[in-house]
Amino acid sequence: MTQNPDMLYFWIALWCYLGGTVAACVYAGVRRPAVRGIVFALTLAGFLANTVALIIRSVISGHPPVTGLFEYMTLFAWCIVLGFLLLWRRKGLDLVAVFGATAGALALAMASLFPAEINQQLIPALQSYWLWIHVSLAVLAEAAFTVAFVASVMYLIGQGRDFRGMPDGRKLDTVTYRAIGIGFPLFTIGALFAGAIWAQKAWGSPWSWDPKETSSLIVWFIYAIYLHARFVRGWSGSGAAWISVLGYAMTIFTILGSKILGGLHSYGV
Amino acid sequence: MIRWLTSMRTAVGLLIAMTALAVLGVLIGQQLPPEVYVERFGHAIGTLVFRAGLGNVFRTWYFVALAGLLTLSTVVCSLKRIATLFTSSNRRLRVFGSLITHLSIALIAAGGVWTAVGGFRQAAPRYMEAGDVIEAPAGGFSIRVDAARTEFSDGGVLSEYLSEVTVLEDGNEVRQHRIEVNEPLVHNGIGVYQFEMLPSASSVREVLLGVVIPADRPGATDARGAAALAGEAATEAATPLHLEVPAALHERVPVLDTGISVEVLEFLSDFTYDIETRTAGLASPRHDNPAVFVQVWENGRLAGEQWVFAGVAGHEAEGLPCRLFFLDYIPDFDRGLTRFEFTHQPGTPLLFFGFAALSLGLCLVFWTRKAPPNPA
Repeated sequence: MTQNPDMLYFWIALWCYLGGTVAACVYAGVRRPAVRGIVFALTLAGFLANTVALIIRSVISGHPPVTGLFEYMTLFAWCIVLGFLLLWRRKGLDLVAVFGATAGALALAMASLFPAEINQQLIPALQSYWLWIHVSLAVLAEAAFTVAFVASVMYLIGQGRDFRGMPDGRKLDTVTYRAIGIGFPLFTIGALFAGAIWAQKAWGSPWSWDPKETSSLIVWFIYAIYLHARFVRGWSGSGAAWISVLGYAMTIFTILGSKILGGLHSYGV
Repeated sequence: MIRWLTSMRTAVGLLIAMTALAVLGVLIGQQLPPEVYVERFGHAIGTLVFRAGLGNVFRTWYFVALAGLLTLSTVVCSLKRIATLFTSSNRRLRVFGSLITHLSIALIAAGGVWTAVGGFRQAAPRYMEAGDVIEAPAGGFSIRVDAARTEFSDGGVLSEYLSEVTVLEDGNEVRQHRIEVNEPLVHNGIGVYQFEMLPSASSVREVLLGVVIPADRPGATDARGAAALAGEAATEAATPLHLEVPAALHERVPVLDTGISVEVLEFLSDFTYDIETRTAGLASPRHDNPAVFVQVWENGRLAGEQWVFAGVAGHEAEGLPCRLFFLDYIPDFDRGLTRFEFTHQPGTPLLFFGFAALSLGLCLVFWTRKAPPNPA
């Protein structure tokens, strides 16, 4: 269970996030400030452990933790929780913020399914500074999309119902929009632009219609549809929220899809 | 027509149609042989997939037409909105960002089309080893391979494929370059990429031979004792003696104290035999059917020689005092066979410029001090 030194902190982070998830569920029911404090403390503790795990791993491997799905999902969890922590100070959004621990727990649980060995020697294709530019920007964008997804799901759940303490629909819609407003440019720069430059350097062409490239383009299309659909009558509100959910489903497929579909990206993430 | 092109519904509709086709393309799999689609989806659907071009959907006329319409829509829409740049002073930066974003789509599309029409990407027709020269398909130069090798870290993990090359123009050496996976050679607008690397097809670092000596052979008992001392697996006195003998190419290696020596004279990574010329040769540079040609010496006298194949039991040959097996080998990664890919992508700078503009535009739209208002 603790074969690498970073794994101890990995598991601490996961358990903290799981504890935070339980506390968040309690908070959703009782809405006591003390419980909210517990959620925050557990989320923050998990985030710190997650940070330490990533730092130890980077020091041992000698490269940023962006190779392989274990590292990717661990970094993804860190970025997601960071995104939700930024929401804590926003008034009226605490019910969104408390579920950051849940999203982090899910990402780390997913990470635990993949081999955690530390590769000190990167394969030739990954020996480029574009690796961390491309992957770290993409993972930040995907974390922003996670925040948008959670806000969209809450928007859809709360629509037409009267849940105590549920943030109002317009606020959730704005969180979704702002999160996509952060994630969309990051995704464009990191996943597509930086990816194209690196692909040109490594494979001789900026675009090869590889399954992961195409999936990323689909993600970009879906969020572009989201951003445009909001100006079309009848598409805003729940329509846009559904598009955000669809975009996130495609984002997850893009992260994990190359395991199934293969292609040029199948050696990494 | 202009109204239709500039409608938001049109843009969203085109994006949805392209997304749907792209999803289909990813799920179906691209550029596979027709029989694969038939195998995956059955005869009727598999044939339909292939005939409708869904197996190469991103190059079908309807996908290209949708992309063209979307590009036209964004351009017309942007031109129509240029006037707002001068009227809305408080949101000028964001309007400017939006214009750049939409116009950049046209630049990216133009870059892609330019490469598709005027570019190429082709793998070299053959593998090359040190000393070989190949002419680039364009650009008026040739490449001479000075060295090709695969490198490993201290832990034995693959660390790099590299080819040291000299660029020749009219037979004159122009420049030298070390081509690595992320370090292509770019000369006269032609990119030369490390495409494939194989260990040598005719050289080998070490061969592990299995030597089986009959139990009744004089000296076998002594050899058995020596084998036990050397840490080899002990076998019963009545059974043949099995020994593992590591040998480098052209190195005569004694088999303990049996008086037998073996020497590997030749290695072929993919053995084939020409019946007409009665010569052994390479079927391909791949390591699909490795074989070694071994001479067996007995008390300083050549006893016989034979080809021995990996994974195949060695046959008993007349005159040979032992049976030989080709158990394993360490390939020669220092004298590798390299294969390049030549590319010419004239639209790439324009495409990157488009991407840079797109990135800048989106940053201006979403990240300038006053974020765009929630239109909902």
